[in-house]
Amino acid sequence: MTIVKDKVGVVSCSGEDLPEGTISRIATRLVLEKLRPHDTVTICLPLFLAGSEDERAFARVFPTIAVDGCDKRCAEVGTKEYSGKPVAVIVVSEIMKKYPHLKTKSRDNLSAEEKKLAIKVAEEIAAKVDEILGRKK
Amino acid sequence: MDKPLGSVARACAFKVVEELKPEDSVLVCVPPLVIGATPHSEWIKKYPVITIDGCPERCATKIVAKNGGRIRGRVFIPQSVQKYGLKPKASAEIGPEGEKLAAKIADETALLIDKILRK
Repeated sequence: MTIVKDKVGVVSCSGEDLPEGTISRIATRLVLEKLRPHDTVTICLPLFLAGSEDERAFARVFPTIAVDGCDKRCAEVGTKEYSGKPVAVIVVSEIMKKYPHLKTKSRDNLSAEEKKLAIKVAEEIAAKVDEILGRKK
Repeated sequence: MDKPLGSVARACAFKVVEELKPEDSVLVCVPPLVIGATPHSEWIKKYPVITIDGCPERCATKIVAKNGGRIRGRVFIPQSVQKYGLKPKASAEIGPEGEKLAAKIADETALLIDKILRK
């Protein structure tokens, strides 16, 4: 299987269970809309898991980054099972350990602190995108 | 993830489980059902389920049905958009109209819960 390296698919946790999931979604949107809009596309995880062949085919051909909110790692496990191993995996709960002063509480509306954390996660995703595409920013 | 109506579905679900029916409902995250993670996979078999779908793909309904869930009610957000004439702004930020839409659908979902639980 040939992997095409001009776009990266970002597969985000759908994030209903924990605040970390919401952060993974917001961080992914920041990457798609602001940080790396020309280099990334998102793959809707529920659609992918429900059996959409378009989403699964994309993830077989293009490199993917799984962005998971927690240790269940649904995005990573699902991508691996139905398309191929993600090139990189980012777990929000792991990143949070680096910023113990930033706390998460809400699954719905993010606080200023949670937004800061989402930006940190987005920056890590963007750095992985650059690494995968062999670009220096 | 990529559609504003999906974000409305989330906002609606949060309103139901956190504000309107915290004692009578739990929120089931969809992806853990596919990888078989507990307790979500057990909840959908043990309790009646209401699915909230944000788009015509109806992933929530498909995944719950495929994994043996007892679906007793379905909410389809695009239908509510037509009914109320409210349009969410974007996926990342649904805006005031999206919030209003989520609140209206949450009220309907709460009534559905009462009906299922015969309250």
